[in-house]
Amino acid sequence: MSGRDRIFARVRSALAGRDRTELPESFGEWRLKSPPVSPVEGFQALFESAGGEVVRVSDRAGAATWIARFSTDFPSVIFGEHVPAELKPDLPSVTPEVAALGLSMARGAVAETGSLLMDARDGRRAQLLAPTHVVVLDAAAVYASLREALISLKDDLPSAIGFHSGPSKSADIGQIMVRGVHGPGRVIALVIDESVIVQDHKEGIS
Amino acid sequence: MSRVNPGAYRAASARTIQNEPGVRDSVGSATRTFDANRVRAFGQIDSERWRDWARDVKTHALTNLDRYLEEAEMRLLANGAHVHWAESADDALRVLADVVARHDIRSAVKGKSMLTEELGVNDHLEQLGVRVRETDLGEYIIQLLGEPPSHIVGPAIHKSLDDCRRLFHAHLGTAPDATPETLAAAARDALRQDFLAADLGISGGNFLAADTGTVALIENEGNIRLSTSLPRVHVAFVGIEKIVPRLEDLSGLLQLTARAATGQPIGNFVSLIQGPKTNEEVDGPEEVHVVLVDNGRTELLADDVAWEALRCVRCGACLNICPVYRQTGGHAYGWTYSGPIGAIIAPGMLGLAKALPLPHASSLCGACVDVCPVRIPIPDLLLHWREQAVEEGLTTTAETIGLKAFTALAERPDAFSAAGALLRWTPWSAAGRSLPILGGWLQERSAPHPSQKSFRRLWEEGIE
Amino acid sequence: MTMRVALFATCLADQFFAEACADAVRLLRHLGVDVDFPERQTCCGQPAFNAGYKAEAARMAAHTLSVFEDAEYVVLPSGSCAGMIRSYYSEISDEGPALDLGKRTFELSQFLVHVLNVETLGRGLSGKTVAYHHGCHALRELGVDSEPIALLSGAGAQVVPWEADKECCGFGGLFSAKLPEVSAAMADRKLDTLPNVDFVTSGDGGCLLQLSGRSQRRRVGASGVTTPFRHIASALWEGVG
Repeated sequence: MSGRDRIFARVRSALAGRDRTELPESFGEWRLKSPPVSPVEGFQALFESAGGEVVRVSDRAGAATWIARFSTDFPSVIFGEHVPAELKPDLPSVTPEVAALGLSMARGAVAETGSLLMDARDGRRAQLLAPTHVVVLDAAAVYASLREALISLKDDLPSAIGFHSGPSKSADIGQIMVRGVHGPGRVIALVIDESVIVQDHKEGIS
Repeated sequence: MSRVNPGAYRAASARTIQNEPGVRDSVGSATRTFDANRVRAFGQIDSERWRDWARDVKTHALTNLDRYLEEAEMRLLANGAHVHWAESADDALRVLADVVARHDIRSAVKGKSMLTEELGVNDHLEQLGVRVRETDLGEYIIQLLGEPPSHIVGPAIHKSLDDCRRLFHAHLGTAPDATPETLAAAARDALRQDFLAADLGISGGNFLAADTGTVALIENEGNIRLSTSLPRVHVAFVGIEKIVPRLEDLSGLLQLTARAATGQPIGNFVSLIQGPKTNEEVDGPEEVHVVLVDNGRTELLADDVAWEALRCVRCGACLNICPVYRQTGGHAYGWTYSGPIGAIIAPGMLGLAKALPLPHASSLCGACVDVCPVRIPIPDLLLHWREQAVEEGLTTTAETIGLKAFTALAERPDAFSAAGALLRWTPWSAAGRSLPILGGWLQERSAPHPSQKSFRRLWEEGIE
Repeated sequence: MTMRVALFATCLADQFFAEACADAVRLLRHLGVDVDFPERQTCCGQPAFNAGYKAEAARMAAHTLSVFEDAEYVVLPSGSCAGMIRSYYSEISDEGPALDLGKRTFELSQFLVHVLNVETLGRGLSGKTVAYHHGCHALRELGVDSEPIALLSGAGAQVVPWEADKECCGFGGLFSAKLPEVSAAMADRKLDTLPNVDFVTSGDGGCLLQLSGRSQRRRVGASGVTTPFRHIASALWEGVG
């Protein structure tokens, strides 16, 4: 008998004679006491209160303009795999280990938790190593609830999904909050209110 | 194995209270802040309903554990992960040793995980010649100090800013009066090198979704994302009780755990890990091993009352509110899991004789019941283990004789009131210290003053 | 028709808070209640129950059930013992009679507010500042929270906010003797945060013994507070004025 078999035998013996309860309805019909007016507003409020920044632009051209201007403060950049050429600023592209700025595409976002959904296929190092992380998000890809987001992710799961809901932070030193401990200390969600990026993104990764 | 010695709880707690007053200050202030944040975060939601739901999902998963473990294993294998089963800490460490040997691992980075503390992973890796680095800032601090965690969520909450300044000055060369930001930046720089050099990343697992084979991890620093993304091999140690049926069940559990633990809507970083890097990905580990650990959990599951403790999501809310835990922090408990939850799972996982007196390390004030996100009836389970201890003859003779004699008196009202009169005439301060129960009382308090006459006598005399 | 109450003095208050029990009788009589003291009463069994001696606790519960079998109401100057009867007797005794007794059992302030519908006793505490310690079982098992505060305020007292008023004092029955160092540190937390008041009151004698005993011990070491500790039954009787 293997260790696995012995564990299963012990589990089954422990459960013999115990009621096997029903699985409750999935979570999500009674969320926050005061739900946000729209998913994007909800995402923005929570992401900002967790220390993240949100910039909203009306279209892809506006996003490109904002990125070009913002990136002038940085000496180097690492791009996520699915960042379209038109959004890439004219900046030396370097390895993620040394990049000053990371630019990634979000697969989506969640209003009720203020989370960006980061797909491993866009490149994990670009999402994690640079001190500043800019994430492009299509407003249409913001789910109201985490439950809806998870159900939609289920059909197309990469090796890993990261929810990024603010900058890296810690209160482990004397219970005083500091930012930028390991992951990015500054994270900016660049929200494109009307865009076709989601479709492009999906084509890119399918 | 890490140091396991719950039996020394009284001496250890007394020592902490008397010799290290700074611990009580730091732990008290940190836990009160955690709890105030929880109160605010619970106020934003229909917390009663969320907690009912979370209780029901975890109960369902536990009462169908065999079925979901099989499903999770199947899904993980289909995702390309390796699945291992560990009956004991030794089994789990053997899996790790095999991975180390096969991949010629020299250095490892580790995300915060109570299970790896329980198993003694760090000591084992060092014996194997692997340099292992804790990367959670709090875990890093206590690793430098050579101490175990003092709290499930905040491992270094017993340390003050000044403690950290002295430590980092000695190890990282920061200024003796450095700001928390400077200290964190120094740790970041030192640990970044470790992340980039490591061949192995080690994590625990907060949840394991059976239908997708997803290991979910909650954190705030990003060190777990880095530990599970950069090294070429990732080993996740997951307790078998961590299973949930569906990926979407994480929606409520991730949020409720964060709200209960720190008052956040969700941890700033959550990782959902299905398996190793796929062909369409540019980075990520080439191998992912998921080690499903029993190590006493099936023993706890077999207890018809205490099995409910396996619902625990390790949020630490019961520690934060516990007036007993607040006096000492976690070290006094002599085991990885401290506070109320530690006191109810220790007897099941370690054996009751070894876990005593932890089930008695509670005044049964009941504060923990109101905060537990999965509604574990903690005081009832403490009572359950106390009853077991009596049944198994694990109490002191003096206590047993005393309580049996008291009970016999209580059934005979005349004798009971006579004994009460005797009690009032006892010269307490002089005689009391040598008596078993009274001695403990008089050690820390002045002797109580009995009334001049009992109420019974006042009643007989007539009350005006 | 006169309401009839059986007073369960509890073993601890019988010996250590006899005057407070007498004050509870005076208070109830003043409010028009006919008070009886069934003489066969002893201990509710809580010390044994909380220490894990279920069989012994069951014997004491059975005795107590027989003593109060015919009582219209049972009132206790103790939230903890009232909680024992209401919450746990059905686990260790005949369920029907136990639940029935539970429904008839009240902690003193709970009885005044919810059965007698009294909130204003008099103005006997005018000008007094008071800190109220919430006994854990009164608060969490019985849900007694605003009742004692309302009664004290109604009698003219100023109930001063106390940061740690709902934290456990560290008594916990045998806990205080088994783990005296932790128990004393818990009392210290209460005493260190205690506001400057004329007296501290609570509905549980055990908590008052713990807090006053610790306070007196600290006073020997010159770090203690000198505030008096009084049972709420006495405070409320004074409140009648």
